[in-house]
Amino acid sequence: MTFEVEAGGRTFTVAVERTDRPGRFRVTLDGVPRLLDVSRSGDFGLSLLDMGTAAIADGTGPISAIAAAPVATSADLQVVPGVGHGDLLVGLRGRTIGVTVNGRRSAHAEAALHGHGQVTIVAPMPGRVVRVLVANGDQVDVRQPVVVVEAMKMENELRAPRAGHVKEIAVAPGTSVEAGRVLAVIE
Amino acid sequence: MRVLIANRGEIAVRIIRACREMGLSTVAVYSDCDRDARHVRDADIAVRIGANDARSSYLDIDGILRAARASNADAVHPGYGFLAENAAFATACDAAGLTFIGPSADAIALMGSKTAARTAAKTAGVPVVPGTEAPLPAGADAGEVARAAEAVGFPLMVKAVAGGGGKGMRVVESASGLLTAVQTARSEAGSAFGDTAVYLERRLTRPRHIEIQLLGDHHGTIVPFVERECSIQRRHQKVVEESPSLAVTQPLRERMAAAAAAVAKSVGYTNAGTIEFLLDEDGSFYFLEMNTRLQVEHPVTEMVSDVDLVQWQIRIARGEQLDLDPVRALTPNGHAIECRIYAEDPDQGFMPSPGLIRGLRAATGPGVRDDGGVVAGYTVPVFYDSMIAKLIAWAPNRSEAVARMARALAEYQVLGIRTTLPFFLWLLRQPEYLDGRYDTTYLDRVLAERRGESFSSFSTGEMETIAIAAALDTVLRGAADDADRRSARSPSAWTQLARVEALRG
Repeated sequence: MTFEVEAGGRTFTVAVERTDRPGRFRVTLDGVPRLLDVSRSGDFGLSLLDMGTAAIADGTGPISAIAAAPVATSADLQVVPGVGHGDLLVGLRGRTIGVTVNGRRSAHAEAALHGHGQVTIVAPMPGRVVRVLVANGDQVDVRQPVVVVEAMKMENELRAPRAGHVKEIAVAPGTSVEAGRVLAVIE
Repeated sequence: MRVLIANRGEIAVRIIRACREMGLSTVAVYSDCDRDARHVRDADIAVRIGANDARSSYLDIDGILRAARASNADAVHPGYGFLAENAAFATACDAAGLTFIGPSADAIALMGSKTAARTAAKTAGVPVVPGTEAPLPAGADAGEVARAAEAVGFPLMVKAVAGGGGKGMRVVESASGLLTAVQTARSEAGSAFGDTAVYLERRLTRPRHIEIQLLGDHHGTIVPFVERECSIQRRHQKVVEESPSLAVTQPLRERMAAAAAAVAKSVGYTNAGTIEFLLDEDGSFYFLEMNTRLQVEHPVTEMVSDVDLVQWQIRIARGEQLDLDPVRALTPNGHAIECRIYAEDPDQGFMPSPGLIRGLRAATGPGVRDDGGVVAGYTVPVFYDSMIAKLIAWAPNRSEAVARMARALAEYQVLGIRTTLPFFLWLLRQPEYLDGRYDTTYLDRVLAERRGESFSSFSTGEMETIAIAAALDTVLRGAADDADRRSARSPSAWTQLARVEALRG
């Protein structure tokens, strides 16, 4: 099986083949094959032992025969399903990154990146709108604060994901909002 | 003795631990969304006190007193935040015959007013940051506010009289932003403390925030400890603390400790408290405020002094005499650092990230202390502060403590929500942090320069590993789904169960 994996603005082509040994896979990353031993722990833990390219014998014969106990590079990852289908959150040594597998970016993310069409500013968590900092028709810069929502005892500034003008303000100060509620539309 | 903990989260867990070690019975209180919280699981007795909104639960004095009566508690520990610095609560506990594990209601009331506390410090001969002597009148018009500001001088800070924890506080660079800042600070102070009073204070350009922890008993003894360095702040909220401070020499330490003890003594202070100072670049220091409670960052003091502050709070409340060596208390043993782990997404401007914790593995190992407040399967609610744990690292010296903290941060796993862990890993690589060249303005300044760049940076090799893991995870999960579908079609679940039982023999 071949996957297009997008992470941190880069796309990797990853082909995965099972071998005749359980837990062992031949993985080809951007054309370079390597042998990996994979073990799950709990619901989200993934231990990878990367035996590298040297463990692969010119593509012939059963893989288990050629790599009985090679020295491997160890990586312990956490792979948690994210919001959309094909979206994953991957953790490695205290850091986290969002990863998309065989996914198309959502229209929202696409527009935010390339500056076409409309983008919405949504409440990332339930809270209460304290202030609206712009008005309909205002020109806003990228990362300019647009709405202030109070949640978890802090006032949180929600910023414009890109430059544009304010097409709609959907809330007023005092409005209680649920997570995902559209607060403003930038065009 | 049975102790009711009028709090939640990591501090409730911390206090339960101290009680356990002293053989004391513990009572947890909880709101509806905290039914599954760790402090409820850890306590001997748990009492529901009300709905999710803090005013109906953790801030409800009558509700907490009812819980104390119902559970036959003898004492109440308020933790920090919520009712910890509420004089009316301390008074109500006294009136109900409960031992309040903290200072007297009078001391809380006096030092709780930032303006009254400044006067007390001046009387004790300790310098204060120049500012307005009294709160701004509630109905002060633009002219009045402007005149008060002119007298103090710009840049200045608007601060809540009842303030704490960075709430109700605004920086004003010039006259133009003054009125908005006063308004915002008033509104934030109102919702955080139920008191909209604010005052103005001169802003030092590059100060460090240095504070002195102390303990006072009911026999007139006050013991100050080695300072805590709390200059790493985001929006006036401490995020990393350490002890000792690189900026404090032994003679300066002794002068600050003596000043702190003088302020505490002048108000007859008992139990645990902290005097906060601003340390200017020229080495002069100014009284900022007193916190009349246990502080979030108390563990760094415990790590370098080998004193259990929470146990001492309880012993002092029982009338015991402090028998700590004051010289030892001012001599740091090694170096300790604390990182406050928040349920916030550092890559989205530190936006709160409440939700279900799907997996949790705290860091452990030599010199590492996890003051955690959550468990896997718990949903971090939106109603309270977003701190879920404190990670503390101790080592014989600072550079080893930094290395140990970095090691522990990389071990720490919180799955399902975003946390500030990647941010700390980034901070611990910054040359200014490593060299100790920072002040209270440092963090906000460098964060602004980053313009939202991600804190989770990976090497090329790590990115490849992540891509491979994502692909393999998809394959393995797909295989698991197929297996589920096959078993749904195949022999009935009862047949399979019979087979399993047969295998167990």
